Amino acid sequence: MPMLDIKNLTLEMVDGDTTIKALDKVNLTVNTGEIRALVGESGSGKSLIVSAICGALPSQWRMTADRMSWNGENLLSMSKYQRREVMRRDIAVVFQNPQTSLDPSATLGEQLEESIPDEFVEGYWFWQRAQHRKRIAISTVHKVGIKQHKHYLNAYPHQIPSDIGQKFMIAMALVSQPKLLIADDPTRGMEPTTKTQILKLFTRLNQTRSLSILFVSHDLLAIASMSHSMTVLYAGQTVESGKMKHIKKRPLHPYTKALLDSAPSFRKDLPPKSQLPTLGGSIPTLQHLPIGCRLGPRCPRAQRACVSRPAVRYIHDHTYNCHFPLHMEKL
Amino acid sequence: MIQILSRYGVLFILTLLVLTAMSFSLVYLFPGDVLENLTGIVPQNEIQREALMRQFRLDQPYIVQFFYYLSSLLQGDWGYSLASGLPLREEIGIAMPATIELSAYAMLMALFVGIPLGYYAGLKSYSTTDHTINALSITTYSFPVFWLALILILFFSLHLDIAPLSGRISLLFDIKPVTGFVLIDIMLAEGIDHGLAYRDAISHLALPTVAIGAITTASMVRITRRSVIDVIHRPYIVAARSRGVSEWQIFFRHVLRNALLPILPLMAIQITTLITNAMIVETLFSWPGIGSWLIQAIYQRDFPALRVGMLAVSTLVITLTIMVDLFNRIIDPSREKYERATV
Ligand SMILES: Nc1ncnc2c1ncn2[C@@H]1O[C@H](COP(=O)(O)OP(=O)(O)OP(=O)(O)O)[C@@H](O)[C@H]1O
Ligand code: SF4
Ligand SMILES: [Mg+2]
Repeated sequence: MPMLDIKNLTLEMVDGDTTIKALDKVNLTVNTGEIRALVGESGSGKSLIVSAICGALPSQWRMTADRMSWNGENLLSMSKYQRREVMRRDIAVVFQNPQTSLDPSATLGEQLEESIPDEFVEGYWFWQRAQHRKRIAISTVHKVGIKQHKHYLNAYPHQIPSDIGQKFMIAMALVSQPKLLIADDPTRGMEPTTKTQILKLFTRLNQTRSLSILFVSHDLLAIASMSHSMTVLYAGQTVESGKMKHIKKRPLHPYTKALLDSAPSFRKDLPPKSQLPTLGGSIPTLQHLPIGCRLGPRCPRAQRACVSRPAVRYIHDHTYNCHFPLHMEKL
Repeated sequence: MIQILSRYGVLFILTLLVLTAMSFSLVYLFPGDVLENLTGIVPQNEIQREALMRQFRLDQPYIVQFFYYLSSLLQGDWGYSLASGLPLREEIGIAMPATIELSAYAMLMALFVGIPLGYYAGLKSYSTTDHTINALSITTYSFPVFWLALILILFFSLHLDIAPLSGRISLLFDIKPVTGFVLIDIMLAEGIDHGLAYRDAISHLALPTVAIGAITTASMVRITRRSVIDVIHRPYIVAARSRGVSEWQIFFRHVLRNALLPILPLMAIQITTLITNAMIVETLFSWPGIGSWLIQAIYQRDFPALRVGMLAVSTLVITLTIMVDLFNRIIDPSREKYERATV
């Protein structure tokens, strides 16, 4: 049974007299102990999915879903208190923008210590507890690769460089020893060495503590090397989802293929200095979404049937949403 | 820290210099003869005129006159009132604390009623309670202060007869102005019934305080509410919530302080309005403060009193404004150290 199971998640917003469907029947699962990559172009709705999972959507969005469950418990029908408990102990999130996710008027140390669940803190008297809290904070900060803990724990968010902020958000997420870590673009703009450090940390936590990770990123190369499975999103629709090695070897959806082709390191047979194949056009805006399959106008295989939304199809645990997938060569 | 303090110190001194220059130039802007305006004496002949001119340095260049004015101000020689003949320093020394006392209570009312109400409305934003509080505060805010004061007098003093019409304390109590603050002076006074005196003083204070405080309270509610609504939608509140931090902790650790920070500078602006309102209300309640004192000075064409009075009031406003801003700078960690000081 998957740990996190989302089926047909739809997000709508009323804008004047039209409704905008930012997410259209998105499916996403994360199994116990796996690293799942969530990829898609900018604006495809990745961060919206993350907010929907943690119940942090702004009030203008209307959310509907056939299923959204955590370890078999329905997240949608949970009481506020139960939901908070899940977020406090089991699921941890690293939001995309670390600088705005930190309270500007509190030190990083205060904010990190606040995230430590009370159960972890030993000691009877408050000063013993405070000391223990501090020790936990320092060791967590070391874990994510921040060495000058004295300096940074007493710093305010505006005094730190952005990569320290990103690491700090990761530390705050890990301090509650969650079962699932949702990381929204955690390595954006980082230097390669720092990035490798973080990715290694994730892989290690996944192997030693069997931490499940939902890894949201643009960085196909990093994702491909560390994750076990992948979900590809295009303009708010899931296009393909399955084991990483299957998708890498044989993508079924035209969009996934174009995505993989556009990353040169995936193609050993590429002659030097050849032009990279890409899809024409660009991702549509939310106001001008095509009906049916949203890839339609850009898709080289599109046919008349594509104006109706393709249903989910399965080959074992590999799913895709396309009328004319790449393994059916009868065009 | 030292740098911040010195920046504010320099700003304060420069502003005061400009104000002093303006108050100095008033003598030349008042209608009539400069010498007569300044001294109140109509010289009988040229010799007397010459002598007076020399005494008041009017025969020297403006710049020398200005420094003479400045140095006598600093030495505590503020001139004499034309109307009463008393030293102005003494008169202002009695009138000013009365105004400060009234404004202070009105400000306390705004802080202790306005800010909690604003927080409550902000946290319950767009509910019926919030709309009610907001509507009430907008209504109160739109009242002209003198009208509000008159309504209060009409209702509580004339109609219900539960509050005195005017004055600061009943003349039965013989209270020496030691600090100038009536509630403190009562405590220091001897040979009176303290309980009765306090009851009398407070019944005198109540109406003017409410009249001035209501408007400041209303704007405090609105400022606070706006600020709280702004803060609770910030990403860091959303992020804290998604870490499972409880609503109480979110309020006390994150909302409270962050919502308060933008309120403080706006409070500095409120101070100006507050003191202006206090001066208007004083005249209606015959409260012996600087406002009614200045009005009297205007009626009596008491020019020396006007120019020093104006300087005293603006010094008070500037001092308070700069102090609030400095305080805000010290408690707000995200404001850059080297940001410039402003009034
Ligand atoms: N509050 C909002 N109001 C209106 N539109 C929004 C709002 N939040 C997101 N959107 C829109 O929803 C779409 C999905 O946004 P989202 O932030 O999820 O993209 P993303 O996949 O995370 O992109 P990126 O990779 O750049 O982070 C975008 O087109 C965005 O413009
Ligand atoms: S459904 Fe049609 S338009 Fe969409 S990806 Fe498949 S072939 Fe292309
Ligand atoms: Mg995003």
